[in-house]
Amino acid sequence: MDITKTLLEFSAVNGVSGRESAAVDYAAALLRPHGDTRVTTLGSLVCTARPGPPGAPHLLLDAHLDEIGMIVTFIEEKGFLRVAPCGGIDRRLLLASTVTVHAAGRDMPGVICSVPPHLAGDADKKNKKVEEIHIDIGLDAEKAKEAVKPGDLVTINAHSRVLLNGLVSGKALDDRAGCVALCRALELLEGAELGCGLTVLLSSMEETGGGGAKTAAYEIAPTHAIAVDVGFGHTPDAPKEKCGELRKGPMIGFAPILSRAVSQELRALATARSIPWQPDVMGGSTGTNSDHIAVARGGVATGLLSIPQKYMHTPIETVAPEDVENTAQLLCAYAKKLGGIG
Amino acid sequence: MRTLVKNIEALCALPGVSGWEHPVREEILRQIGGSCDCSVDPLGNVIAFKKGRKTPKNKILYSAHMDEVGFVITFVEDSGLLRFAPVGGIDSRVVLGKAVEIGDKRLYGVIGSKAVHLQEEKERSEPQGPDKLYIDIGAESREQALEHVSPGDRAVFRAGFGRLGQDKLFGRALDDRAGCALLIELIGRDLAYDCHFSFTVLEETGCTGAATAGYGVNPDIAVAVETTTASDIAGVDPDKVVCALNSGPVVSFMDKGAVYDHGLYTLALETARRANIPCQPKQGVFGGNESRALQAARGGARTLAVSLPCRYLHSPACVIGEPDLAHTATLLEALLEAMAEL
Repeated sequence: MDITKTLLEFSAVNGVSGRESAAVDYAAALLRPHGDTRVTTLGSLVCTARPGPPGAPHLLLDAHLDEIGMIVTFIEEKGFLRVAPCGGIDRRLLLASTVTVHAAGRDMPGVICSVPPHLAGDADKKNKKVEEIHIDIGLDAEKAKEAVKPGDLVTINAHSRVLLNGLVSGKALDDRAGCVALCRALELLEGAELGCGLTVLLSSMEETGGGGAKTAAYEIAPTHAIAVDVGFGHTPDAPKEKCGELRKGPMIGFAPILSRAVSQELRALATARSIPWQPDVMGGSTGTNSDHIAVARGGVATGLLSIPQKYMHTPIETVAPEDVENTAQLLCAYAKKLGGIG
Repeated sequence: MRTLVKNIEALCALPGVSGWEHPVREEILRQIGGSCDCSVDPLGNVIAFKKGRKTPKNKILYSAHMDEVGFVITFVEDSGLLRFAPVGGIDSRVVLGKAVEIGDKRLYGVIGSKAVHLQEEKERSEPQGPDKLYIDIGAESREQALEHVSPGDRAVFRAGFGRLGQDKLFGRALDDRAGCALLIELIGRDLAYDCHFSFTVLEETGCTGAATAGYGVNPDIAVAVETTTASDIAGVDPDKVVCALNSGPVVSFMDKGAVYDHGLYTLALETARRANIPCQPKQGVFGGNESRALQAARGGARTLAVSLPCRYLHSPACVIGEPDLAHTATLLEALLEAMAEL
């Protein structure tokens, strides 16, 4: 698998929380060679890579498919759209962004209105909330109401590009980077006779509450799980203690909600196999799908790996492909260990 | 000859931040070189003379600026991140989360900051000035960054160009490549009278190019062909709208930089009426353009500004109306005849 190419392509696919079908289609093509795939009631993609012997442990690997975006709530008198956020949009970067309105039948471009400087009053010295912005689609009210309906989704336009040192930048890499790591892990495990079951879950609706992983984990009923998400990559304005660094390997989660045994196993395996890693310590829950998976049914021993990412929740999310590869290597090592062959 | 819209798209695709207008200048020279006399003055203005069917009583100059607002790289951090300053007026709130292209090689970079999850409420609501932001090209050290970038390099937003709704266009640098395209269109026509044209540099940083172009050409009448703020968007009181898209070219009686020749102002409105094309006054004293410099060159020139109404000026996505383009071209050609015999 060409990780960079896959990241670039997958980043460009749209899949705002609740409407992930295009992302499901893209990912299904990657997963199908590795096992039976199906889509759950809430739109998550599940691949049964190894059914596993009866009574054996069953490992669930999760990453989320959905991305943040906006949803049309109202069409104004002059044809401008009002929206609400789907997930934690960074309100500071909205103005003058170009967007795509995913209307029934066709996608159409839009521009988020910015008030020209000569009209800027005190209210304009603040960053607008998502609910306060207007989207210009160039149509009058009548035509706008014909073309766009409340409930249509909106994505901020982005370019998927490679920066220096091979870093990949684009939208939705939270958590398509995790999805790619899982696909790569399955590739690494090809032909491995695991003594455990293995299921890959690319979950829906993480950014709006984690409903996809919660319900899929119930259905799959694993004994062990590792959620793969993105973690904060350090930039000079961010607190070092809450961040990892790009190109220094997956961040292994340590938190009360996570299984101490799984976290320690991941750390031991990374150290033994010389896979670079960094710690990611949280005081309670983790804010990722691992919180939901850990409490599915009677409980699941759950770990968390985070791929360090700069500029999370923006159209310029940036990750290092080697961190994706190293995450996959560590997942592979864990699966083999649990499956009795590592 | 390309259609006006195609040519605007081609010109907007070129970076031309003040002082680094050379990509735009080269393209304009390539386009008009065969159909008029043209030269480049010491500051980099393109000065052109198009012979008409008759010699006018007044020497007339049509001027549009080639430069655009953007950024200049000021400093390279040890971390490899680039510090920058705005060139021209850019709203702090349209910068974050955008991608940029730096220098002649158009190196890709992104303007990011720490993740939304790590921001305090105050940080989310208050815009950050450009002095707090940086461009990330993926470099990991000052040395590596300096292999690709030098202080002084200019950067532009990486932005798309396209149709918005049915009859509007969005793109970066419509201010004032749309004006440049209109002048190129006029040069391509069989004009009734001789006309001088200038494609100027350094408008956004103080109208310096127009000052020397005005001196060099020494016209009796100078017309700035520009874009001007249209605030026909949601939530703006009628008295602040200034002008509206697809209501025809905008003529100014006064702005923050100049009081226009009242005879020319009324002549423009009257010429539009006789030509049966829509035309609107700029309703409000806002903004300014290179008329101020054209007006004061040598012993002075009578000046007029004819502008395309444009939403979201100085942002990565400006919006103009397509019908306004043809109407403005028609008005400029008719005005040439009207002004020639004043």
